[in-house]
Formats: sequence, C-alpha cells, structure tokens
Amino acid sequence: MNMLHLIVEKHTLALEAGRRMWASLKYGLPPALGDARWPAELILATWEAARTGHYPEHLEYRYGQSNGGFDRLHFKFLPESQWLPADAAIDLSLPLNRRFPDDPQITIDVPWYGGGMSFGSVSEQVMVSRARAAQRWNTFTSTGEGGYPPGLVPYKDHVITQIATGMFGVREETIQYARIVEFKYAQGAKPGLGGHLLGDKATVAVAKMRESVPWVSLFSPFPFHSVYSVEDHRKHVDWVRTINPRALVSVKVSTPTDVDMVAVGSFYAGAHIVHIDGSYGGTGAAPEVAKKIIAMPIELAIPKVHKFLLKEGIRDQITIMASGGIRNADDIAKIIALGADGAVLGTADLVALGCTRCSNCERGRGCPFGLTTTDPELSLLIEPDRDAARISNLYNAMAERLREILRRLGLRSVRELRGRTDLLVYR
Amino acid sequence: MRHDESLYHRYHIETRDAPDIEAWPPRFQVKVRRHRLAWLLLKEIFHYGPAKKEVILSRPCVYGVFSGPIGGFAPRPHLCVGCLRCTTQYPDVVQIVPNPERQKLGDSYFTAHYVNTVAYEAATGRVPVRGAGYRGRFGGQGWDGMWTDMSEIVRPTRDGIHGREYISTMVDIGVRPDHLAFGPDGQPVEPPRVFGVPLPLLFDRLPQVEANPALTRILAAAAREIDTLALLPVAALAHLAEPTPHIVPVVRATETVPRLPFAPRMVELDGWDPAAYQRLQQAFPQSIVALRLPFGDRPTLAAAFAAGVRVFHLTADYHGQLPDGRFVMDGIREAHLFFVEKGLRDAVTLLGSGGIIAAEHVPKAIILGLDAVAIDTPLLVALQARFAGEFRRPGDAYRLPKRLPEGWGVQRLKNLAASWRDQLLEVLGAMGLRDVRRLRGEMGRAMFQKDLEREAFGEIEGYLEQTATSGEPTAASREPMAVR
Repeated sequence: MNMLHLIVEKHTLALEAGRRMWASLKYGLPPALGDARWPAELILATWEAARTGHYPEHLEYRYGQSNGGFDRLHFKFLPESQWLPADAAIDLSLPLNRRFPDDPQITIDVPWYGGGMSFGSVSEQVMVSRARAAQRWNTFTSTGEGGYPPGLVPYKDHVITQIATGMFGVREETIQYARIVEFKYAQGAKPGLGGHLLGDKATVAVAKMRESVPWVSLFSPFPFHSVYSVEDHRKHVDWVRTINPRALVSVKVSTPTDVDMVAVGSFYAGAHIVHIDGSYGGTGAAPEVAKKIIAMPIELAIPKVHKFLLKEGIRDQITIMASGGIRNADDIAKIIALGADGAVLGTADLVALGCTRCSNCERGRGCPFGLTTTDPELSLLIEPDRDAARISNLYNAMAERLREILRRLGLRSVRELRGRTDLLVYR
Repeated sequence: MRHDESLYHRYHIETRDAPDIEAWPPRFQVKVRRHRLAWLLLKEIFHYGPAKKEVILSRPCVYGVFSGPIGGFAPRPHLCVGCLRCTTQYPDVVQIVPNPERQKLGDSYFTAHYVNTVAYEAATGRVPVRGAGYRGRFGGQGWDGMWTDMSEIVRPTRDGIHGREYISTMVDIGVRPDHLAFGPDGQPVEPPRVFGVPLPLLFDRLPQVEANPALTRILAAAAREIDTLALLPVAALAHLAEPTPHIVPVVRATETVPRLPFAPRMVELDGWDPAAYQRLQQAFPQSIVALRLPFGDRPTLAAAFAAGVRVFHLTADYHGQLPDGRFVMDGIREAHLFFVEKGLRDAVTLLGSGGIIAAEHVPKAIILGLDAVAIDTPLLVALQARFAGEFRRPGDAYRLPKRLPEGWGVQRLKNLAASWRDQLLEVLGAMGLRDVRRLRGEMGRAMFQKDLEREAFGEIEGYLEQTATSGEPTAASREPMAVR
C-alpha cells in the first residue's frame, strides 16, 4: 500500500470511528455542530442511520429547530388500536409518468430520488456512490449540470441527465443514456441567479468534462436564453424527445410567487414531472442573500401548487416532486401530505456520507470531507464501494420510518397520503 | 488614459482588500487535550513505524490550524473555519467550540452573525458566498418574515448581473412636480429639482461623529468616491478641509443657519419647524431641503408636505423600533401608503434609517416603499466599532479602533457599499428588474410569511396565524440559531 493510500485509510477509519463516537453521545453533542435546520442531533442521527440502516432512538431524527415549516408540522396519528399491523404490506412506490400511456412507465420503489449535484461541485466518487444507492433502491439520482463522468455510465438507468442553462457537458449521447431528462430552470438556493462554480473547483478534469478552461469560474447564465415562454419551453421538450423519444421529461423550477402558474405552464409544455425546489435547498456555492430571502420555502409552495392543479383538473396527470430542505422521512411524509407526490434529496445524501453542514464547500480545495470537492487527494476520502452503502442504509432507515408513519395513519400506500393536510397538526 | 466625461461610464465601486485593523476574537476555540494527542502520536508511531512519518504527521485540518511548528500542541484558532473535520475524526483529542468572545460582538439586534457578515463585506467588498443551504430559522419576525420574488423566464436583463446588460441602481432625490407646465417662453414654469445618486444607499449621521475628525473625513471621502451622500451634523463640517456637495449638513431647528463654503446638494432639517425650514430654503436656494423626522408621525408628514417639503428622511432607532413600539417595516409601509393614497407618492422622496443592518434589508425596505436608505450602525461595524452593551440610540456608547487611518476606513466603507450594491443586483437580477426605481413600493414583488402560511397551512388543525410566526418580541432579523 503506498503512502497516499495509508494516509487515506488512516483518516477514513478515524472519521468512521469518530462519527460513531459522537453519535453515542459519549462526549455530549459537538458544540459547534448543527444549525436551526439541521441541529446536531439530526446530523448525528443521520450519520448513525447511514451506518446501521436504522434511525437511532436516542437521537431526535424527526425535527429540526427552525421554528417553522416542517418543524412545526406533526402527524395526527390514529389511536394505537387502529394502526395497521406491524407486518402490513405498505406500498412506497411511485409512478413517475401519469399522463402519456405510450411513454415509458417508470415506477420508483420509494417516493424520492436524488437531486442534481454536478461533477465539479462534487467528486465523481460521490456521484457514483449516489448512483449505486439509487440502483439498489430502484430510484434515481441526477447528474446536475457538469457533464456525465464515465463512472456513471454503468448506472445510467438510474441517472437523470440534467440540462441546465450553461449546457455544460450536455451531449446527444448523455441525453440518450437517460430514462429521465431534467430541464433545470432554477435552483432553490439561488433562484434566478444561474449556477456558479468557483475557479478553484474547475480542475483540469472538471474543465475537460465541461469543455471549459481550467481554474476559471464558470457561470451558468440565468435563464435559458432560448426560452421566453411556455411555447419556447415546449420547443425544448420536443427537442429532447426527438433525441430520446423514450425519456420522461422533468422540469426543475424554483418557488416564485406564481409557482402555481409555473407548474401549469410546465404541464402544458409536456412535462411528465415538475420538480419544485424550495428556497432552503442546498448548494455548493450561493450568495447568502439568495439562500435566505429569494423565493419561498418548499412547505409553502407545494400546497399552493397542489391546490391550483386540482382546481385546473390536471393534478392526477402530473407528478410533483419537491425539494429544498427535505432532511428525513418525516419531511418526506409531510411534503407529500401537503400535496407533493414525492421528494428529491440532496443534502441528506451528503450528510449520510459525513457532511457536517459547515458551509465551506466552496472554500479553497473544497470540502475537507471529500464530498464537495474534486481535489484529487480529498476526494479519495469517499469510496463508492463503501459509501454507496451509507446512502443505501439511510434510504433503508427512511423507508422504515415512512412505513411506520403510514402504518400509524392507517394508510397502505404512500400515494394515499398525497394532499392529506387533515392528517397534519400545526404546533 | 484621460478620463473622457463625454463617454458613457458604467457605475462601478472599486473594491480592494482592507483587512481588519484590530484583531477580533477568532470564531472558534480549538481545544486540544495535549496528553491524548501525545498518546495518539505514540500509538501511530507504534502502528505505522517511524519510517511512515508522512502518514503519522498527516493532519486532518486542510486549513492549517495544526500546521504550526508543533502541530496540534499549539493550534492556530484564527485559521479555523469550523469545518469540524478534526473533531469529527478525533473527538477524544480535539473539540471545536464557538468562541463566546466572538459571540459578544454587536448587541441583541446587530448580532454577532451580522457583525461577521458586515466585517467580511467591509474587508473584501465581496458578496458573501457559501456552500450548503440556508442555516437559519424558518422565516421569522420583522425582516425575516418577508421573501422576495424571482422570475423563472421573464427576464428583461437576460444576461443579468454577469452579462452585458446593465441593472441600474440609480435613484432620484428631490422635488418633482406631478406634471410640467410651460410658460410663454416655452420653458417649464417649475422644472424638477432632482439629483441622482447611483446607489440607493446613503451614509446617515453617525452618533458622536462631530467629536471624531478622522471618522468625519472617512465618511466624507467615501461618500465622494462612491458618489453618494454623507449626512453630517454642522459641528462636524469643521473637520473637513474641502467639503464637497456629497456632504449633507444636518441642521437642528434651534441651530443658526450655518455659512458653508460649498453648495450642498441637500440640506437636512432635523425636526419639523416651519420657520427653520423657510430659513434653510432661503439660505440654500440651490439645495434640496429635506426633513428628518421619526417614522409614524403622520400629522407632521402632512403638515410638512403642505408647507412644501418633498424629501423626507424618516428614522427609527438603531434596532428599528418606532417611538410607538412598532417595527421600522410598518413605518415604511405606512409612510409610503400615506402618500400613495393621496396620489402624491411620485411627488416625494422617502429616505429611511434605523434597523437596516444587512444587505438584504435594502431591497426589502425599497419594496416596502422607500426610495433609498441611509445606513448607520453598519458603517460603524464596518469600521470595527464595538458597542458597549445595547446600541439603540445615538447616546449609547461605542468604541472605534484607536487608530483609524483614512485610507483604510474609506476602503472599508467602499467595500461595504460595493458588496451591498452587488447583493441588491442579485435580488434585482433574480426578479428580472433592470432598474431599482421600479422596485419601490412593489409589494407584489414580496412574499410575506404570514400570507403564505395562511394560504398553505390555514386548513391545518392548530394553525393560528397569530402564533405561527410569533417568536421573540424583537423584530430584528435573527441569526442562524446555532453558532456561526
């Protein structure tokens, strides 16, 4: 074993042991870990779920401390005598194509998939780890806007190809790989601002993938310069479907005040899936002002969209996926009860891999845990063979908890939960 | 190359690094148990053998906290960014703790979080950009209960802030008739008396500035260099060798009208006094005479307007509190709507101060109805002032660094203005607006937590609007709950 491998091994083993030790609370809660949305206990619980496949009972894994949104919504569980039996079959699957019978019928086994994280914002190791977990759970992950690293190709049936405004790495073959193609109009963390990869992270490999110049910051402009209207958007959808007639089309948008109209517009443009990304979502780098004040949180956007689509009589023809601060199974269940069909995860996957939410993703060489970095040494801290299992374990814990929630609500399918705000209590 | 005034020049604020002049406590304390570290090293020497020195000395920190001559035995906490890699890896050896001394910066409104942000902006001139999602509470009271809109595709600026087209932050201050009337000579009878300021950010009168010549000069020079206005009490003007029209003398009604060696673009009367207003108008016929008064005083607003005042500078205390206990947001909206309802909004300029301590508050204040803001405490914090307890009113104590070099101070304020302007551009860009003047009073560009929650959660059991967004009684924007 060479020196570099010994160093990597030393640190990965120590990280593994350290996370376990912190989660045991032997040293109490780490004093500087956590924030209102992801308090220390929730991070530790996620680490522990990623290790064991189950949420730990001794840590609060259901709520954050943000004093609003998900953290003030609770379930109105039935009396225990009315719960479904512990061994009841509860269906978590979610069909993604609800409108065109002739298009592929894709059903995922759990009502979530992984959101886009580009090559450059994260390493190829992270992308592959996520793709393997997606394959294991018969769901998806997304390329984000940074091209399609060759390591992802074996998992292409579970990888969404994202087309965003910079068109980085978008090629005919990467569209043809995909069972789902996603147009990213906006991102919740920086809505209306396009994408931004700082120069330090545009390494030679990243630049090659994006067909750009190494070490030069990359901006994905906002918005699509070819789209001024729903009709223009329709043209985009047609273009993708010409290249790959078998692909479902997803449209990722943010949460402006007229998010309901945006969803309807996407529907009329021919999308199968509308992915709504709320303002508290994750990012590799975004102006703090954008994360905090531009656009609305997902908890407030989804009911608006759901009710409007119901009124329009088209709710059952489109799949609404929600993202932007969805941290755990409880959040997934809540957003579905508020009107979404499913959820899209990003930060939760990274926390499973060891993220501390320190917000230094963009600084210098990038993430010191090897997540949001393409630094050739730091990125070795993630090893897909080992770390796909961590994400997969988290998914197992989430599925377990989601089934438990449904069981206590007396529901046999997650699809029965959609829009059931009567099953929620605000406190 | 000669500067050709006839050519078009895009407005630009020159930024340059202006690091802290006074060392502030680091954000984190790095607590190393030295005996455990020694034990760890021994274990590793035994495990890997002395030949694998590179492995043994490989440190978890990528920011250099443990890269001093004796590594973790003398950590360098000023380099710690709080990534927690070290403590995650070796919880029994090292702990990272938020530094309580750092948390003491600012006060209960201008919290350490905002102090850190303003200090960063003033030091670098950059927009704070960080990874991961938002770390704070869900909405909140005051400014935090308001979000701004964005547009998915409607985009007059197309290439936005990074592209070819230009977003204007110019605002007009002055007296504008609601229509032009022309005399027999074809000339307007009452032409508009308006001047432009290239960003909606003025420097308000700072407390005790008259006793501090260096501070006075910094404010005046920074205002001149970025082409905005610095409001200064008359007593402070003596500190200036060459006052320029960027200075706005603030005159109390009881003060005698000063003789000035320059023609200011604007003079501000502090407190309503019709006779004093007349005297100032006569003394400064070329200048706009503005009136400074607290938010919430509608009768005086009406009386002053009737007497001819067209520029109002409305103030709250430094925590954004109005005399009647309401928050500055209510005051702004009330003043704006007062003139809107009378059909006079375009006839007046509304400036506002108090409680505006972050870049995000500027677009929000404009959406609520201001034309421009005059900032106060952020200027002091940018110059590394430390408050002695709560800093709410001009009489409260603060301390600036002992040495206040003019060049450094001017650059800090320029950096702050540049950063705030860039953040304003981000917000305008997201909306697809290319002119900040179009944002004024555009409440449709805002989303209020109360309204959105009522719509989203109204039918959910237990949701009561009055409790949903309640929190601490202070209307200030809260910092992220935990530590940074």
